[in-house]
Formats: sequence, structure tokens, C-alpha cells
Amino acid sequence: LLISSPTQPPPAAGHIIGQQQLTSYLEKALNEGPRNVVLFLQDKMSIEDFTMYGGAFGNKQDTAFPNLEGALMSSSSRLVLPAVSWPASNAVIGQLQDQLETSPLYMDPETLSQLRLNASSPALLVFRLPYGLGADLMSAKEILSGNDEVIGQVLSTMRARAVPYTAIYTALQPSRVSPPHQRRAPERERQRRIKEKAGVYAPVEFKEGEDTCILLWAKGLSVSILRSGRWEEHDLTPSTFGEGVSPQLHGSSCDKSKSKLVLNYENVLGHRSFKLIFAMSQRRYQVSARRWFTLDAVELEYDRTTARFNGSRKVYAPAEYSYRCESVTNFRWPQLVPRSLNDPANQWRVSFQDFQIQGFNVSGSEFSYASDCAGFFSAGIWMGLMTSLLLVLVLTYGLHMIMQLHTMDRFDDPKGPAISVPQTE
Amino acid sequence: MLLECMMNGHAILYTGVTLAFWSTILIVGLCYTIFDLGFRFDVAWFLTETSPFMWANLGIGLAISLSVVGAAWGIYITGSSILGGGVKAPRIKTKNLVSIIFCEAVAIYGIIMAIVISNMAENFSGTTPESIGARNYQAGYSMFGAGLTVGFSNLFCGICVGIVGSGAALADAQNGSLFVKILIVEIFGSAIGLFGVIVAILQVK
Repeated sequence: LLISSPTQPPPAAGHIIGQQQLTSYLEKALNEGPRNVVLFLQDKMSIEDFTMYGGAFGNKQDTAFPNLEGALMSSSSRLVLPAVSWPASNAVIGQLQDQLETSPLYMDPETLSQLRLNASSPALLVFRLPYGLGADLMSAKEILSGNDEVIGQVLSTMRARAVPYTAIYTALQPSRVSPPHQRRAPERERQRRIKEKAGVYAPVEFKEGEDTCILLWAKGLSVSILRSGRWEEHDLTPSTFGEGVSPQLHGSSCDKSKSKLVLNYENVLGHRSFKLIFAMSQRRYQVSARRWFTLDAVELEYDRTTARFNGSRKVYAPAEYSYRCESVTNFRWPQLVPRSLNDPANQWRVSFQDFQIQGFNVSGSEFSYASDCAGFFSAGIWMGLMTSLLLVLVLTYGLHMIMQLHTMDRFDDPKGPAISVPQTE
Repeated sequence: MLLECMMNGHAILYTGVTLAFWSTILIVGLCYTIFDLGFRFDVAWFLTETSPFMWANLGIGLAISLSVVGAAWGIYITGSSILGGGVKAPRIKTKNLVSIIFCEAVAIYGIIMAIVISNMAENFSGTTPESIGARNYQAGYSMFGAGLTVGFSNLFCGICVGIVGSGAALADAQNGSLFVKILIVEIFGSAIGLFGVIVAILQVK
């Protein structure tokens, strides 16, 4: 369905417009735009017709829709709905009738010139356009060209009248229905669902002035404390991430060589004020001749005590990139280690899932390339490869030796008599 | 003409494998360089993440296996000469068994070192490089080095003694007085195996 109308946001690709949505689009168009509606109703139409005959493959000169494209370009605003479910498009006349409160006038280009049009009173002019039997491709193009001619004539007449109008080009039925209709629906459903995927939210951003300085993202953020023999957990994710959640970042700072992100919470595990602090630093390391940043400390500050974890051994990345790891904890394949043996951190467990952090060289509000904590091969794979390589070398050597054993052929005489082995002694 | 240009089967196989290996290395290295991912090539990570047990056991395995290869090769060379020469001159049989014994000693060195090194391999606790500690890593690498040392020196010692022993047998078959002189050469050859054992013991001390 193509419509010249006040600008509305086009629908997402692959989205099939249903009845209700179509109604809302039309309502909006007709409320804000001219109430003279010129409706070109083709018997059948699909987006494939435009793809095939519209000169979409760089061959604009072959297009079957020169007038249509010209009208779309020259109109003050346009809306293209590439996929409308066909019961809805079928009912478009009824909807327009209801919204304009006038009955449709079925016309063709000749009768249009005789019609008197008024800018104030609404009118619904319907032009039926054929599609053809659909058997012969050639004729389809000719029919569409013919329809385009009609559209051109009508629109030029309307322009000559200087009456503002809204033009709609649609059809009663789809011209092409893909045979495995059931397969298409889940595909479209999947595409729709991808658009609305839950659980994707923006990272925590700390801005120094106008520029974003520190970025933090995690799928799960939780801390637990050991109290009287039991671990009590508190999930910090809902207070840190999500739509409309903005955590308090007082106390955060960043400069060229040090960054500190402070997340302030209230009422965590019985502590009135609770802070989760990420302290990072970057410097140039001589041996690798590049700048690296490290997560020096993860600190939990509460009630005038600070539990410190050291992360600089494992959490590091080149300074231009961000660091990402599936699991950053201090108890399961730990990346964070308590600073010392007596540190209060020994009573805490922190666990970050799908953790990504960047403290320096942030451009825009997006993470740079994520240097993952997991390499391509794990340590076990390397060990296996090394041992296998050694064994394969041994095998190669052995095979080589065996393959160069030859039977003695010095005394072979192919022309001589065959050897006879006497049976008796 | 094409058949003449082509090498025999072994050479094709080895050139093919070498080509595949080096081209993989080249392309992987090139990709890492182009995408500025060179920092992920981390030798230190490999050395600290791989278990010291792997290194220790590789050392033990190489110690015994390479020594045995050397001994076997030597005995094969000497043995065939003794058997061949013994057909014509049966008196050489008993005397030349000494060469075989020199070769066998090489295998004995290997197995002794393997047992000594494996006795030094103990369990350790710790999962992270820090908790494993430098001493455990050093132990793993030393055992690997010791095994490599004793293995390779015994390998070449065995081959050497074998070839000399073969010559001794054939010379003895020809002229009985030559044997003792050639035995001295064999003793020198045998000494290098002993050097390997001594150095390996120093490495794992």
C-alpha cells in the first residue's frame, strides 16, 4: 500500500500490517492530510511486482512505474507499507468510507475531468485497475505499465485542478502467495520477535562533561555475604541496568591514566549505603610496546569498611579496546582475588555475568572491540594439540622408516628359473 | 616428462604437509597482524596455563622413548653386521656382543632416568598461576628439559655406537687384531650417553 500522506514512521522491514494498524495509519493520514482521497485499487498486488518491474536492479529506465515514482517523489510526504495482510487491504474501501463519511465514487480518467472537486468536502474517488490472469509474465508488465499510465493521467488531472489530495495505491488481494505459506509465517514471526527482544539494554555510562568516559554492561551483577554460615545474596542487576534505570554514579572520576566507576546503592544486605567501585588504570608497557588497561580493584564499600578485590592479573585489555568476559567472579574460575588474607573481601562473593567494561578511549557511547577473556583455543586444547603433534611426528618418523625398507633384489633374475624348494631333506 | 619432474611419494607427502603447515602459520599470523590482534598471541599465557604435569610427563615419555629408539637403531645396525659377518667368520660372534651391550646400556640409562624423573613428580594444589607457584612450574619445565636431554643424547649415542659396532664386527671378521682398537672408539661414543644422563640429573636436582 502506498500513500501520499503526512510523514509517519515507516514500519519495520518484514512487518505485516494488520487491520488495526492499517486503520490507525489511515486515520492519522486523513486527519492531518487532505480529505480528498484518490484510491487506486488494483485487483492484485505484491511487493514482488515492484521488485520485478520497478527497475530495482539498476535498470531504472525499464521501470513500469515512471508516473508512480514521479508522484511519490514529488509528493510532500509519503508512506510505503510493503506488507499489508490481505484481509485488511480488502477492507480498505470500507475503512475509508467510514473515516471520510462519504460513499466511494467509482471512476475512470475520463469521468474524472467532468467531476467537480472541493477542497473542503471529503471525497473518495476509486479507480479500479486490472491485474490480469497472472499466467503470462510479459502481460503482467504491460498491465502494470498500463495501470501506471492511468495513475499518471489521474494525478496530472488532480494537479491541474489544484485540489489537495491524498493518493492511495493498493489492492484487494496479493498477487503472489508463497506456497509454503506456513513456513513464511514463523520466519516473519521470528523477525518480529527479534525486533522486540527483551534483555537488551544500554550500558551504564559515566560522562565527564559531554564525553562518555566509562562504560559498563553486564547481564547479571550480584554480591553475596557470608553471615552465620550462610551466603546471603543480593542481585544488583535491576538497580543498575534496564529501561529507565539510572544508577547513581557519584564519586566516579576519570582522567588519562585512571578511571573509577562508583555505583551507589541503598539498602543492600542490610547496609544503608553500599558502593560498588571499579578502579581501572592504563599505562604503557615497554615489552609489548602498547598501552594496556587493567581493572586494578573491585571494591565494595559499606558502613565504613571496604572489601577489596584485585583484578589486575586477569582483567586486562589493550587500552583502545574493551574487556569482556562471560563470568567474572571471585569463587568460580576466579578473576578477582581478595587483596590480602585478612581483607573483608574474604567474606564476600561477587559475580558478574556477561561482563563488559571499558574505562578509556571511549568514542561515542559504544564499546570498542571487545577483547574477550576466552581465547580461540583453551589451555586444554593447546596441551592436546602439542601432545598430538608430538605423537604424529613420531608416527611420521616410524612410517618413513618402514616405508624405506626394501626387500633385497640384488640376486633377482626374472628370466632365470624359479626357485624350487625340495620337499625332502 | 611429468613423471620425471615429480618426486617420489615420500617427498610429495612431506612437501605437502610442510606447505600446509607453513601456509597455515603464515595466514593466521597475517590475519592477527592485520586486525591488530597481535596482543592475543600470548606465549606467557600458554606457559602458565598449560599444566606442569603435561611438561613433566612429556619429559618422562621422551626420556625413555628416545633412548629406546637410539638403542634399537644401534642394535639393528650392529646386529645385522654381526650376523652377516658371522656367517663367514663364526669366531666374531661372542666378542662382538660387547657392542650390543654398549647399545643396550643406552636404553638402560633412559629407563633409569625416566624412573628417577617420575619419582620427582608430585601432586600440587592450586588452580591459578599464582597459587600454583613458580616452583611447580619450574619443576615441570625441568623435568621436561631433563627428559629431552637424556632422550636426545641417548638417541644419538645409540646410533653412533651401533654404526661403530657394525664396523668393528666387519673389521673383526676380516682381521681379528682390529677389534680392540675399534672398541676404544666405541667407548668414546658411549661416553656421550653418559654425559646426557649426568646433565639430566643435574637439571632435576
